[in-house]
Amino acid sequence: MTGALFAQSLVLGVLLGGLYALLAAGLTLYFGVMRVVMIAHSAFLILAAYLAWYFHERTGIDPLLSLVVTVPLFFVVGYGMQRFLVSRLRPITLTTMSVLLTFAVALTIEGLLGFVWTGTQRRIQLGYSGTSIEVAGVSIAVVKLVAFGLAALSLGALYLILRRTSFGRALRATTQHPEAARLIGIDTDRVAGLGFGLGLATAAVGGTALALDYTIYPSLHWHWIGPLMAIIVVGGLGSIPGAAIAALLLGVAASLLQVPLGTTWAQTVFYLALFVTLMIRPQGFFGGRLAQRF
Amino acid sequence: MESELESELAPQATAGQAAEPGPAAEPLLRLTDVQAGYGRAALVLRGLSVTVAPGSVVCLVGPNGAGKSTVLKVASGLLKPRAGQVVVDGVDVTGRSPQQLLAAGLSHVPQGHSVFPEMTVAENVLLGAYTVRDRSEVEARTDFVTELFPLVGERWSALAGALSGGQQKQVEFARSLMVRPKVVLLDEPSMGLDPKATAVVFEQVRRMRDAGTAVLLVEQNARRALESADVGCVLDLGRVHITGPAPDLLADPRLAQLYLGGRPKEVS
Ligand SMILES: Nc1ncnc2c1ncn2[C@@H]1O[C@H](COP(=O)(O)OP(=O)(O)OP(=O)(O)O)[C@@H](O)[C@H]1O
Ligand SMILES: [Mg+2]
Repeated sequence: MTGALFAQSLVLGVLLGGLYALLAAGLTLYFGVMRVVMIAHSAFLILAAYLAWYFHERTGIDPLLSLVVTVPLFFVVGYGMQRFLVSRLRPITLTTMSVLLTFAVALTIEGLLGFVWTGTQRRIQLGYSGTSIEVAGVSIAVVKLVAFGLAALSLGALYLILRRTSFGRALRATTQHPEAARLIGIDTDRVAGLGFGLGLATAAVGGTALALDYTIYPSLHWHWIGPLMAIIVVGGLGSIPGAAIAALLLGVAASLLQVPLGTTWAQTVFYLALFVTLMIRPQGFFGGRLAQRF
Repeated sequence: MESELESELAPQATAGQAAEPGPAAEPLLRLTDVQAGYGRAALVLRGLSVTVAPGSVVCLVGPNGAGKSTVLKVASGLLKPRAGQVVVDGVDVTGRSPQQLLAAGLSHVPQGHSVFPEMTVAENVLLGAYTVRDRSEVEARTDFVTELFPLVGERWSALAGALSGGQQKQVEFARSLMVRPKVVLLDEPSMGLDPKATAVVFEQVRRMRDAGTAVLLVEQNARRALESADVGCVLDLGRVHITGPAPDLLADPRLAQLYLGGRPKEVS
């Protein structure tokens, strides 16, 4: 691999890793707060991408503006989904049953997308779609930069919410010791609902970022959920920084391996990392103490 | 602030302090004929009654699985009783949520480790005041608990999960006192601690009492706990079988009998 190609792949990997990081953060949030495995996370991601595409088709306005609608909408849907569906599962079998429940939700979303917009592949064409900028011999598509910026901003916002707000502290407390959280007066059911909403909001942002740069179709979510699940296990279930670090590293690795191995084989790096993690460090690599409890 | 602290720490202030309502010292916490259990399984508590008077440490002892933790869960609202009554300082709070019971004046430190391990000691302690809106009150309480538990102040920015078991207990105690509770419920605070840390914990239970907070303490380690308590209750088969001043109970042959095998015959 030449130096230029390496640099190019590295940059692409970081940009892709940013998007993975945001989506994995949402996914690990559900697990941390509620022990829920949210298979439908990537289905909501594609739904948001479709909404961005449809918004652009209809209005001709930049799809980024669709975020004004999709982020609050997904937040409310997430809150409702937790309060009216997930919370009905029995605590003892919650984790297992949540796989089944959210699998069904994923299939439903996929079916609805196909029903409403058919299985045809869709792609947003923007004024700046083909534009790229050149930095030190590396050419970067503007849409990829915008998508990365969006992901980075959202991750930063998520970090601030969790670290600096009273709700964030309540959410972290609920993640780390649910019973103690209830005993200091935190309404853990409400926190779980809001946490779910927050997780789904990351899917809204991610979906819009995705729509800028990818061809979308209803079953695309299956390509995302596997790597995302692998990322949150490698990072340590429930750990947001862990998820972000693992996402960046694996995103870069997949991107670098694409040159010698091709797209399909490069994807296996996620599963390879998953196997290695489960074999030598099942609690994850960056999860810290909390993850060891699972 | 300083003077308030002084008076709260003064031992003689405790007896009269919380007993204003009447001369007959209305108990701060009263559980009456409580029945409770989990799911469809048999009842764990079958008509349990216990009272905690102002300024006292009441110790509930009983063998493994007797239902000691269940008593505290009913008192703090984690578990709804099937029958019976929970009264806090004259107010019936039966069946209320943990939040409402916290507001009523009960603070519960559960069994085992319950710090938030990935947060600092500071975050843990301040979260104890999660329901307190008044900032100056939070500051006053922070000063109060760091005075009562100096270690908490010393390790203020350490990660709580990195502390030893005994140190974590102190953080949990400090956290539970942030809301100015009338009664703290302590579930086996000495569990898993070495003898030295255990001695510290019991010393601190007394200091909480002396600072004006009544304590309902649950322990398996009966002898050690009764030495620090004012009143002792022996729990077995879902009921309180013997109640009395802790020193009397320590001398009671029935206690020894209960712990050396052979349950007392059910009298009912
Ligand atoms: N969450 C639960 N679900 C079902 N049964 C439970 C639950 N918690 C406790 N039990 C049962 O209730 C009974 C009393 O339990 P409890 O925890 O109150 O006992 P304990 O006196 O605190 O015991 P220990 O000394 O072990 O802490 C036991 O038989 C226990 O198996
Ligand atoms: Mg117990």
